[in-house]
Amino acid sequence: MNCREHLRQYRIIGFFTSVKLTTFFLLLLFILTFWGTVAQVHNGLYLAQQRYFHSFFFLVMEFLPFPGGQAVMWGLFFNLVSVALLRLVYKWQNVGIIIIHFGLLLFLISGFITHRFAQESFLTLPEGRASNVSTAYHDWEISVWKETPPKFPLQITREVMAVNTKNFKTGQVVDLNELGFQLTVKEYRRNCNAYVGGAERSKIINASGIHRLKLMPLEKEPQKNTPGGVFDIETAKGENYEILLFGGESKTTIVKIGGVEYNMMLRLARYPLPFTLKLVDFMMEKHPGTDTARSFKSLVAIETKNVWRDKLISMNNPLRYKDYTLYQSSYAIDNMGYEFSTLAVVANVGRILPYISTFVTFGGLVIHFILMAFTAKKDVEPIFVEND
Amino acid sequence: MIKTVYLSFFRLTLITIVVVGLLLPSVSSAQLFCPLDTFKPQKIKSLEVFKRIPVLNEGRIKPLDTYVQNFLLLLSGKRRYGHESALEWFARFLFSPRTTFTDKIFLINHPEILEALKVEPEKGRRYSFRDLEPEYVKLQQLAMASREIEDKNRSAVEREILRVYNNVYLYLRLSGAMMYASPHPDFTINSPSIISQLQLSSGETSFSFYDMIERADLLRQATERLETKRERDWTQDDKILVGLMNALFFWTQYYADCPFGLIPTKEEEDEHWLSPMDIILISFGDPVYHGEIKNLRDMTLAYWNGVQLEFDLAARAFMDSVSKRLSIKEKQSVDKISLELLYNRLNLFIWTKLFYAVGFGLFLFSLMSDKTWLYRAAKIAVLAGFVPHFIALLFRIAIMSRPPVSNLYETFIFVGLITVTLGLLLELVNKNWLGIVVSSTCGLIFLLIAGKFSNDGDTMQMLVAVLNSNFWLSTHVLAITTGYAGCSVAGILGHIYILQALAKPNDKKWLEVTYKNMLGILGFGLTMTFLGTTLGGIWADQSWGRFWGWDPKENGALLIILWSAIIFHARLAEIINPLGVAMGCVWGMIVVMWAWFGVNLLSVGLHSYGFTSGIAYALVAYVVVEFIFLTSSGLILGKKNMKF
Repeated sequence: MNCREHLRQYRIIGFFTSVKLTTFFLLLLFILTFWGTVAQVHNGLYLAQQRYFHSFFFLVMEFLPFPGGQAVMWGLFFNLVSVALLRLVYKWQNVGIIIIHFGLLLFLISGFITHRFAQESFLTLPEGRASNVSTAYHDWEISVWKETPPKFPLQITREVMAVNTKNFKTGQVVDLNELGFQLTVKEYRRNCNAYVGGAERSKIINASGIHRLKLMPLEKEPQKNTPGGVFDIETAKGENYEILLFGGESKTTIVKIGGVEYNMMLRLARYPLPFTLKLVDFMMEKHPGTDTARSFKSLVAIETKNVWRDKLISMNNPLRYKDYTLYQSSYAIDNMGYEFSTLAVVANVGRILPYISTFVTFGGLVIHFILMAFTAKKDVEPIFVEND
Repeated sequence: MIKTVYLSFFRLTLITIVVVGLLLPSVSSAQLFCPLDTFKPQKIKSLEVFKRIPVLNEGRIKPLDTYVQNFLLLLSGKRRYGHESALEWFARFLFSPRTTFTDKIFLINHPEILEALKVEPEKGRRYSFRDLEPEYVKLQQLAMASREIEDKNRSAVEREILRVYNNVYLYLRLSGAMMYASPHPDFTINSPSIISQLQLSSGETSFSFYDMIERADLLRQATERLETKRERDWTQDDKILVGLMNALFFWTQYYADCPFGLIPTKEEEDEHWLSPMDIILISFGDPVYHGEIKNLRDMTLAYWNGVQLEFDLAARAFMDSVSKRLSIKEKQSVDKISLELLYNRLNLFIWTKLFYAVGFGLFLFSLMSDKTWLYRAAKIAVLAGFVPHFIALLFRIAIMSRPPVSNLYETFIFVGLITVTLGLLLELVNKNWLGIVVSSTCGLIFLLIAGKFSNDGDTMQMLVAVLNSNFWLSTHVLAITTGYAGCSVAGILGHIYILQALAKPNDKKWLEVTYKNMLGILGFGLTMTFLGTTLGGIWADQSWGRFWGWDPKENGALLIILWSAIIFHARLAEIINPLGVAMGCVWGMIVVMWAWFGVNLLSVGLHSYGFTSGIAYALVAYVVVEFIFLTSSGLILGKKNMKF
């Protein structure tokens, strides 16, 4: 009995290295995929994704736990690693199978990296304008900056401190020591309507006169949610202010703390980019006589280290810069005829991994297919995994 | 300069319309839909030249032959009207629309619409314009209300109303495309002095819009003095002149924006093609346009007079003039017209279906008689079907300059071809009818389904921006559809295995051969589906910035991969036996159908194309049939102690 056989004697290891378990996980993933697809009709893509694919477990009919996509993928990952270590037969005739499964392992790893580290945002620019900041699709932040009197020469940048509201909970305290105060979350609604009025809460500071937030159910499409919250500001000297911020406001709320005026705003999170991008020209072509678009193109100029270079971004032809990729996403033309182009900005350190895993796994499948075709006439099939 | 003259001309007309609109109401209201033609055209016998005329429609330059077939198909769901070909009917419609007012060409599927329009239901479910005309306003109101509703929330009735209205509207717009060429009561002149003043033919009293617009300057000169003359002082001739102006203005307004792209504009950057009336409105004074409008007018008159030579000469002159001023891109499309006409004429899929049906018929016959000639004949029949099938795809590639997999129709044709190829390969290896059965069954079924999709209109559509990439179409889409084909063939082999087990459960060798082929083909299907799916991921990463987004179409492809992987792993873990694998392959076919077009029924996600509600019922019926087949065969085989 070799070491692998010996280890498989342990019931728990034997269980994890079982191909039956693989079949079970694959079946679970099949069910989840089908379920998550059909659920998109009523719940929309985002909510279905969160519930069926990004979760570890979810409740069916509010009480019955069912493994979510993450749990099943982790299960498959451990099962695959265990089988690769303790059961897979490493022989030349199995080279295809071995490559396939290592490719799949890489797929699972790349899926994890993308899920954990990829950041998606967008950048909308009118023709002739430049920016080095992209905007999140549905992550919000509280941004704070000091109100400064106009200076000469005119300052075109300002220092903004921002707090991501993704994990805000009631009672949570956020230290903004650099600004000399702390922020306590009194209430935070991920989707709400705002109302002006309500005398009992008249101490609340808000630029638009909003004094009340009404909780609303989350939208199918997270971009449609408008959050809002009430926050306590407490300075080191014991001053207290109650402020209300609402995502739908265009005005900034100004609070005077220790003689300094601070602008505060609840807005879609901004991500600084390691380059500046200018939209030179946006071009759209339609198939003649139809409203069907034939192509969208954005001619942009990208600036790094004070040097500008032109690049044409079109469908299927994005701009790549280090871990960032910018794609043509949509466009708008306002009443005055000015053209705006929206570029999707994706930062993903593991972007190349699915490419590698695709070709590794496919290569394995082809090799295995050819080997099987050559050995098809043999009565005895090769052994892929060791049985107990 | 020309434009200014015409603008001032129409401005004057507009003034006169306001002044005398009340005096001459009959001119503008009576001709709303049906300008009168009081006699029937003589027609011409051959439309060979006519069908070659290029038309820009749905973003593509195509021969009139293709356009008219799709037009009639859109309206009536048929490619012929009675004994007339689509082309003959369309020529009659174009040059003499009134003669088609009683043609039963509007397909109405839902009885509630007939009830709403107060139309008596007819057996053929097709109705004429005359049937629908009395309640046209009602139809319009209902359609406008339906249009307000979001597409996915529309009921079957609302969808049908919108479809019928769009068809009637299109019919009406197109019915006016060549009206300018025929004499019309709006331009009847009984005054010899006006006829002489306008230099019209003295023997005639009824003229066409074309005759009038050609003499627009003379008419303007004749009416100029009326600007300063009081209305009560107008003579009878003055009133006729104003009436003519009024009619001209009404025609240019009413028949404008006709969706019949026949004449390319002269601006190089403008890729639009316009109808004759729109060209008249824009720049009739331009000699090139003028000549082309005249050619079309001559065609109309020749059609009415039944003079073949004149008709053909005018049509050729028109095409020559148009082709001289096309851009390089447009010229490339026009150059392919002969190819497309040949493709239309050959009707290759009819032959393909016929040969596959013969192949399958011979197989059925062979069950009763094992003569060797039957086997040979069946093999030849399948090959004879394969050749036109393959050639038809080559035609489509050449015409569209892209891989033939850009809509559901084309995927069925392509998958059909791959399944037949796989079947032929199986036959080459096994020489035991297995491949013939697979080829003939799959080829026939997929082509029949494709035939249903072709009823949606032109099957050679232009692509939206994101799909407009030959590289990805020829890698991702070809790979995934080849994967569908592989898994479908495995499903057919699954059926065959089960039927063999039912017929001869003890013939292990026979079963073993089918089983091994089934596994091999399933492996091929899995490999290609995997490649197609991951290439799709790479394409998505290139265009949308993410490899995987759990979009329904992506999930559908993943389901095929997972199902195939489940079959292989369950077999390896000895959870299932060959019979279980066969049943798994049969279910796999359902998974393929779900991924292929079932997910489109959800109306969500990024890959939505070619939805028709009939597919939903067909898919459900298919699943039910397979369920009954598997359950009943499972019960019978269980009793025979066969292990799953």
